Amino acid sequence: MFKRPASSPFVFNVKSRMRAAGMVILLAPLCIFVRLFYMQTFLYEEFSSKAERAIYNYLAEDRLRGKILDVNGRELAESVRTHSCGVNKRYVQDKNKTVQFLSETLGMPKKTILDKWKRASNFFFVAKKIKPDKYIKISQILRTRLGQGLELTPEYERIHPYGESALDLIGASNSKNYGLSGIEQMYNRELSQDISKKRAKRARRGEIIYDRKLKEELSVANVYLTVDAVAQFYAESALKKAVEEVGAEHGVAVVQEPKTGKILAAASYPVKDGQSLAFQFTYEPGSTFKTIAVSSALDAGVVRVTDSIDMDGRKWEIARGVVVRDNQHEKDFLSVPEIMQLSSNIGAGKIALELGAKNLFYYIKAFGFGTKTDINFNGESKGNVPPYSKWTKVDTATKGYGYGVAVTPIQLINAYSAVANGGILMQPHIIDRIEYAGGKVEKKSKPVKIRRVLKQETSDTMKKVLQSVVEAGSGKRARITGYQVAGKTGTAEKLSKEGGYAKRSHVASFCGFAPVSDPQFTVLVILDNPAKYSFGGTAAAPVFKEIMERMLAMKGIQPDQLDFE
Amino acid sequence: MKLFGLVFVLALFGFGVVMMRIEINRSGRNISQLQNEVEIKEARNQYLQLEISRLSSPGNITRLAQEKLGMVPAKPHEIVLLEEK
Repeated sequence: MFKRPASSPFVFNVKSRMRAAGMVILLAPLCIFVRLFYMQTFLYEEFSSKAERAIYNYLAEDRLRGKILDVNGRELAESVRTHSCGVNKRYVQDKNKTVQFLSETLGMPKKTILDKWKRASNFFFVAKKIKPDKYIKISQILRTRLGQGLELTPEYERIHPYGESALDLIGASNSKNYGLSGIEQMYNRELSQDISKKRAKRARRGEIIYDRKLKEELSVANVYLTVDAVAQFYAESALKKAVEEVGAEHGVAVVQEPKTGKILAAASYPVKDGQSLAFQFTYEPGSTFKTIAVSSALDAGVVRVTDSIDMDGRKWEIARGVVVRDNQHEKDFLSVPEIMQLSSNIGAGKIALELGAKNLFYYIKAFGFGTKTDINFNGESKGNVPPYSKWTKVDTATKGYGYGVAVTPIQLINAYSAVANGGILMQPHIIDRIEYAGGKVEKKSKPVKIRRVLKQETSDTMKKVLQSVVEAGSGKRARITGYQVAGKTGTAEKLSKEGGYAKRSHVASFCGFAPVSDPQFTVLVILDNPAKYSFGGTAAAPVFKEIMERMLAMKGIQPDQLDFE
Repeated sequence: MKLFGLVFVLALFGFGVVMMRIEINRSGRNISQLQNEVEIKEARNQYLQLEISRLSSPGNITRLAQEKLGMVPAKPHEIVLLEEK
């Protein structure tokens, strides 16, 4: 046997060998322990953020979004849980059978699936947001041999059960459930699930396990609009028909409750998600603005309703070289109601001059023009009312009949509602309430009086004046059997690209309210650049009538004119 | 004897563990199956509710009333309220 000299430091007895073997065996766990210690202590941040990112990226895509509903709880936008179907090639048992099954179930050509198969290294999505019936078929075979390698990943899809209805108000959200426009964006925080509160872990096969304490649905709110889906449908269908009939570029129809300021319908056509023309369209209102100038002058006491205004032979030279003509009548003098009935620019211009630039400016501002509403709809315009210090005599006169100011539909309808409700400018509302998780309800549409703009008696007088416009003036096509209707037509020439006003390019509009005895609805209709029937009285007034009739019928408002046939 | 007792106890314990494991697995499968069924039913329910919303939309009802029943919207003055609110 081999013998070592006694002086050797290595003693190969059993004990030493075991110790050496033990040390060798322990070395590997020690290395692992050291590495783990290093990772836990020095690389903790990096790894934990990697893990969080992996989970939260998933949650961001997977999170539920609150509903957007009309005032009566009809769902206008809701998130529906759908699934994406993926294939993990590694686990597929029979490629041909699996492809055949997917092709039949998902209604996809085999070739499409095979192409995806070829391109993917291991995993690929066959179809996204599959319908429940298809999901059911696939989930039933998941545990069979055929289903091996197939994966169903949950995700949410934003659905609009009423199609395009109110889509211009609702807006859009992206595939990660973030609001991009409209109400979706304005109330993104309330509608989105707060993922910071949503804890989850990833299971072995990648499934997400939510914290038991927090159910998914707990942290989203539902947003209720003041819009009534039925009123919205009436406004949209009447507007669509009108825009197509007269060949207009765009159309806007808004319905408001004058006493509360609630917007019951706000239709735009063509519909683009999140682009509500009621808030974003800016235009020179033309004759519908005469109501503002005339009511301001009556309120200030500079003009009385019985006054007669000299028409200067229907050819009025405001300043040298600036002539205003009234071709629609042959009268030498017009009373205030006649000025409105015949939509006389000379009359309205003279009344504006009588009121004076400063007073007119302050009344215009008091009616809410040149200022955004508190709704703060994304992309909302504030219009344009230049400071009166810059107005010339011509500017003051032209503002009397609606040129030289830019307004939004929401500003104009709100001003008409002030005339209708006794002279008080109300805060317009588009959101009725927000229902938070846990049952808390935040009421958003309580009537808020911004300011009194007109005296009660001015409002009463203007209601009669505007009623006479519908009964005997340019707004005859807005008459409704059994109801006293008040309103004003508007036909404004549009600015041309070459400078000045385009003679053949108009904005036709009508704004009014009914019943005059107790106004319940204010309706504004605007048709931008109609190809035929370019006057407000012929193009927009019939649309107003259609919408108003349906509103009165829907709410069961009793006639206030009893001597009708 | 002592050893036999110990082995018996250990065997019994092992058998218990195995049985428990089998039962857990079976229950797990049942739960999973039930969860799957619930998910399928929920998906179906949600789909049907969506269909209800779609079919009861004002546009759809108006279209059906006009096309199938030949109805036209009533004028407001033609409506008589039997009971004032």
